[in-house]
Amino acid sequence: MTRSEHSARAASNPVAGMATVVVVQLAGAVFLRQFLLIEDWRLVIGLLLIFGAALVLMERVPSLEARVEAAFARHSRLALLLGMAIVLGFPFVLEGNTYALHLCVISMLYAVLALALNFQLGSANIPNFATGASYGIGAYASALLALNFGVSFWVALPVAAVVATIFGFLLGIPSMRTRDSYLALVTIAFGVVIHQLLNNLEFTGGPNGLVGIPVPELFGHSFGDPLVIFGQELPSQANFYYLSALLVLISIVFARRLHDSRVGLAWNALRTDELAARCQGINVTWYKVLAFAVDAFLAGFAGTIYAFYVGFISPDNFTFLVSVTIMTMVIAGGMDNILGVIVGAFLLTLLPEKLRAFSDYRILFFGVTVIAFLMIRPQGLFPQRLRRYGD
Amino acid sequence: MALSASSPVVLEGENLTMRFGGLVAMAEVAFTLKRGEILGIIGPNGAGKSTLLNIITGIYIPSSGEVRLEGERLNGVPAHKIVARGIARTFQSSRLFGDLSVLDNVVIGRHTHTKAGVFDAIFRRGRAKAELEAAAAHAETLLKSVSRGLHEQRHRPAGELAQADRRRLEIARALATDPKVLLLDEPSSGMDDADTDALMDDIRAVCAQRPDLALMIIEHDMRLVASLPHRVMVLDYGQKLADGPYEEIRKIPRVQEAYLGRKATQHAGA
Repeated sequence: MTRSEHSARAASNPVAGMATVVVVQLAGAVFLRQFLLIEDWRLVIGLLLIFGAALVLMERVPSLEARVEAAFARHSRLALLLGMAIVLGFPFVLEGNTYALHLCVISMLYAVLALALNFQLGSANIPNFATGASYGIGAYASALLALNFGVSFWVALPVAAVVATIFGFLLGIPSMRTRDSYLALVTIAFGVVIHQLLNNLEFTGGPNGLVGIPVPELFGHSFGDPLVIFGQELPSQANFYYLSALLVLISIVFARRLHDSRVGLAWNALRTDELAARCQGINVTWYKVLAFAVDAFLAGFAGTIYAFYVGFISPDNFTFLVSVTIMTMVIAGGMDNILGVIVGAFLLTLLPEKLRAFSDYRILFFGVTVIAFLMIRPQGLFPQRLRRYGD
Repeated sequence: MALSASSPVVLEGENLTMRFGGLVAMAEVAFTLKRGEILGIIGPNGAGKSTLLNIITGIYIPSSGEVRLEGERLNGVPAHKIVARGIARTFQSSRLFGDLSVLDNVVIGRHTHTKAGVFDAIFRRGRAKAELEAAAAHAETLLKSVSRGLHEQRHRPAGELAQADRRRLEIARALATDPKVLLLDEPSSGMDDADTDALMDDIRAVCAQRPDLALMIIEHDMRLVASLPHRVMVLDYGQKLADGPYEEIRKIPRVQEAYLGRKATQHAGA
């Protein structure tokens, strides 16, 4: 109805559509840059208010949202190219601020984790509280390979993802005997077991964790060295910035392709009604286990990058709380919406850092902000959309 | 219609018994369903009608007896594989995928006729996409043939549909699996007379387009039972009371008693 009208309007005026795409993307980038760089807590609050106001506007004037959406759908190639250019150029406008770059890296790793969990929580409504554990398994698997066998980062990366996937299957299979809250309990238990094992096993280094994970190298360039591009020197974090940006890109491609496929549809079907899904010929058990495996696979990747980025890991990096945070990112960002999940991950990673001025009260402010945003947009920042075929 | 005395049996049940602990929900029920036939199933609440459907579709495994589709035993075959073999159903309380579009509901019905898995979706996208778009095109045609009104609403979330359209969509979704046997669980429940008439016309149209499709309809609406099925089976307390054309069935006193209640029969007799 209104949607097609708007796309028709956007089609009749391609310049306006392209301008919309450019303005929205640049505004987003500028907003993120300012948010990363400012120190003064009053300015942080100001930016959050602007963000809140934008959400109110989107909620109150649905036609505006629809118009932006139509513009992006119509000029998807422009949006993609500009988006990539912004991501590539972003480290150059951060004034060499290593802390801002570090936050970007962590946010992107969490974005990958949130996208991973979104396959389960968003697409299939499986409350998995063990994404943090899969993240940890990936990190430990790759770190152990590197420390004990001198395996390079590039080999450890896929191997760790496979190890995490195997654990994902191991968790998925017993979980299939339960559902809803009981399923959540099984995954919580799995997360606790993994944490306890990492804490108590000899070869994982116990509570001290693993230290001295070697810095990755690519074509003789060490990721510990500053990155020089076009004569511009970027801090060493930029290496990992580009690496995790690539991982986010891969995750988005995975997420989009799966969402727009028969698999995504099957997940959506069992999310709404398991019995009805079975009666359409969907092997519900298999698709649930598959969701666990895909989640663990991507989380394993993120874990490896984290381990090699930070250089040392301990069980406390992968607690139950990490899983809960990832879950909040998916819920607050918007279930089954890729953009929403990524925005949720950035917001929830950056907020506590930016609210440091409130010291002891920062978690309180963090909670209040998330609740406020959810009150404005109860379905998450960017709710799920219906699929379209062909047109 | 295509039904004739020589039509082969598609689906049959033998000595079907279902016990839940001490409760016997179904005792030694036998039935046959021929190709192109419409079988009505009536009986008071708790007579075992839905239990029978759940046994046939693999949701329950019968305590004894067996179900055969074209001679092949179905006991113990998981529900999702039974769909692939050619038995589709609708539900009494409609169970649509409410947050997906009308079209997607039917596309999901094509699940057993499509193959793409995780690997195809990610690394062989062209193939997976072509397959899904073919399924979507098939679904559009199917929607159009079941109901034009439904087809016009194909991009709306299924949860927003009116009651009558929800039933139609459930039938379309079930038909998308290309079934040999279609089981309808109280398709007219919650509908007024006008909607029920429209539904009956739709079901007739569906059958006319698919002369080989066999139908089993659980129903309470006597107008529908009187006119649509070729044959009616009566269940009561998990047992088969009678089986035959509606004209014969309605005359049996035990049927009147089971169906209309003892009091009504007494009044009718008095």
